This record gives sequence, structure tokens and C-alpha cells, in this order.
Amino acid sequence: MAQQAKNYKQMSDELNKLIEWFESDELNLDEAVGKYEQAMQLISEMESHLKTAENKVKKIAVKFESD
Amino acid sequence: MEGIVLSPSDFAALLNQTLEMAYPVVTIEGELSNFRVSKNRWVYFDLQDELASIKFFGTVYSLPGPLEDGMKVRVSGSPRLHPRFGFSVNVLSMTPAGEGSIKKAADLLAAKLQAEGLFDEERKRPLPQIPEVIGLVTAAQSAAYADFIKILNERWGGVEIHLIDVYVQGASAAPQIVRAIEYFNALSRLPDVLVITRGGGSAEDLASFSDERVVRAVAASRIPTLVAVGHEVDVSLAELAADLRASTPSNAAQLVVPHRRETIAGLGVAKKSVFEVVSQRLEAERRANREGREYLTSQVLLLLKNLQNNIISTRKLMSVLDPQAALKRGYAIVRKGGHVLGSIKGLKGGDRLGIQLADGTINAEISGK
Repeated sequence: MAQQAKNYKQMSDELNKLIEWFESDELNLDEAVGKYEQAMQLISEMESHLKTAENKVKKIAVKFESD
Repeated sequence: MEGIVLSPSDFAALLNQTLEMAYPVVTIEGELSNFRVSKNRWVYFDLQDELASIKFFGTVYSLPGPLEDGMKVRVSGSPRLHPRFGFSVNVLSMTPAGEGSIKKAADLLAAKLQAEGLFDEERKRPLPQIPEVIGLVTAAQSAAYADFIKILNERWGGVEIHLIDVYVQGASAAPQIVRAIEYFNALSRLPDVLVITRGGGSAEDLASFSDERVVRAVAASRIPTLVAVGHEVDVSLAELAADLRASTPSNAAQLVVPHRRETIAGLGVAKKSVFEVVSQRLEAERRANREGREYLTSQVLLLLKNLQNNIISTRKLMSVLDPQAALKRGYAIVRKGGHVLGSIKGLKGGDRLGIQLADGTINAEISGK
């Protein structure tokens, strides 16, 4: 769980860096498209990471409710 | 004898010899007067009636307890002519006589023992809840003995009873009861409780149970004591000195052991209440556990929800940052020689430019500026 949380944090840090880049003045389209794609990819990964975590939590909760 | 001349000592010896032959022991009852104790050891008094007064001499050990002038007492002793001090009766034993005197003597003794603290509540020890061995001091042939054993067996079985058969009234009762108490207290394995009992009787019958020696032996017992003398009015002094008193021998049996039925019922109640306490405790723990678990789950899910909400806002932000989206809204990116132009500075007519729109790039030439 600690390992996964760290991974999520790493992804989150990376995403923040990308967003910061977009907020700076220099605009290089090719770079922007590349970084945009990278950011979107990260967001999808983070979403599925969260979904997995949620399912896992719900499954654990159900498992221990029965006793 | 007329012709024989005797010395005073010879005469005293001769008279004493005669007295010893004729009256080895006499018992005289009369009113006590001139009672005094010398050096805490020697006792002098007279017994008198309307016509006569007889001198007595004895030791404090023969006294039944504290005495006062005017009391009626019965004294057994040997008449003697002392070569120096004259006639007296040497006291062997003495007891108060008549209801009034017995009561008076008992009151005096009670006051004295009370002052010594023999009856103090603080001295009372609790009796064991369920004794294994009972030391019993009573008359084996008495109804008291039969009642005690009967009630005891009705209530609780398997108690070991060691009986010492004693007189419970008369002159030998007190010394026998004292010896019985001392015997039990000298055993290597002490009984758990001593029961000293007899049935009811007249004040005179019960006198042994107020005898100073008996009262002191009861008070001195290392074994907790229960004294029961069946009677209605006065409490004997031995009962006051005992750790616990009972009104009758049957009552003594009731106090010395619990009733098996009550004990079993008590155990049932205890079992039930222990079960209830444990169940309640378990249920409380289970509930706390469940609540803790639910809280934890909801906290984790809340955390996940927050992170998901963050992602949704980031997605919205990203749609603003998407360069393609700008092109779709009609904006274009203009390049010259592969570099994106941010300004018209440095451009002149005839320069070739690339113009990127949403769906493709066109090449153009500046016709004017």
C-alpha cells in the first residue's frame, strides 16, 4: 500500500511539472503536443490507479464485514 | 487429756489433726464481708450470718471472679487453726450463690473484662466461609450436640468434626471447657473454627459460660470461635468474647456452614452474571471494532474520492491547455524556417511561411507588409 501510494505520488508530481510547463511563456507546439499527450496518459494511469485502489478497498471491506 | 500438758504448737497440731479427720472439707454459704486482697495474691474475708462470722483465707486463683462485700457466696475449704493467726478456713473453691449474687458477680466480671477489651468488636475475626474441620466442645449426650450435628448435616456434608466431650455445667465444667479449648489450640493442624455450645438452662446451669477462665480461654483462642448457649435472657460472657455468637446450638450450625442449596443457587447466579458480563464486553468490543472498520473504510474511500475529483479538475485544465483545441477554434500557428513566429518583426515581402490550421498546414508567401 505504501509502495503504491508513493507511485501515485510520483505520477502526481510528474503531472504537476507538466502543467507548470504549460503555464510558462515559451510555446513550442511539437513539445506542447508531446507534453499534452504525456499528461493525458498520466491522468489515465492515475485514474485507473485510483479505480483499482477503490475496488480493492471495497473488496476488503466486504470481506471483513462478514465476520 | 486432762493430765497432759501441751505446748501451744502441740495443741495447734493436735487440733488440726482432729479437724482434718472430722471435717476434711466443709462447704459454707454466707454473706461476704471484710473482703480484701493482699499483694495481688492472698485473699482474706469473712462469711457471716446474723449470729456468726467465720474467717477465710485463700489465694486469688480460687476466686470465681471479682467479688464485693455483701454478696452471697458458697465456699468449700478445710478448717484450720493457724499456730499464729488463729482459726480460719483455707479456701479450695468458691462460687457466688443465689440469683442475686450470681448476677452481681457476673456484672462485676463483665465490667472488668470489658475494660480489658476482651469484648471489643475490633477483636472479632471472620469465620471461614466453609470450614473443613470443626472443633466442637459440648456434652456428647446432650440435645445440643444432636441438634448441632443434625442441622450441620442438613446444610453441608463432609465436614470433619472433632468432639471433646465436656461437662457443660457444675464445678468441673469450666476447667474442662478451658482444657478443651487449649487442646484444640495446641494441635499441629488447627481446626478451622471452634464451636462451644450447650442448650438452655437456669442461670446457675449457665454459669460456667460466664466463668472468667472460660471467657479468657475463648478470647485467647487462635482458632476463630463460635459460642452458642441456648437461653432467652442474658448473654453469657463467653459469647461476648467469642468471634461470633449464636442463640442456640442449631443456630450455631446455621452460622458455621452455608446451606448447600443456597450455595448452589448462588453459583448459578454467579455463572449467569459472569456470562452476561463477558457477553456484554464481547458485544461492546465487536461494535467498537465494526465502527472502527466502517470509519476506516469511509476515510479511505473519501481520500480516493478527493483524488478522483482532483483528476477531474486536472482534465478540465488540460482541455484548456490542448494546443489542438486552440487551432480548432480558428487560431493558427505561423512558422518561418521551422521556427514558430510570435511577432511580425523581421519579416519582409516574399518571405515564405508555413501556416498550421486544425486540419493541416499550408505554405504561403508574404505579399506585402
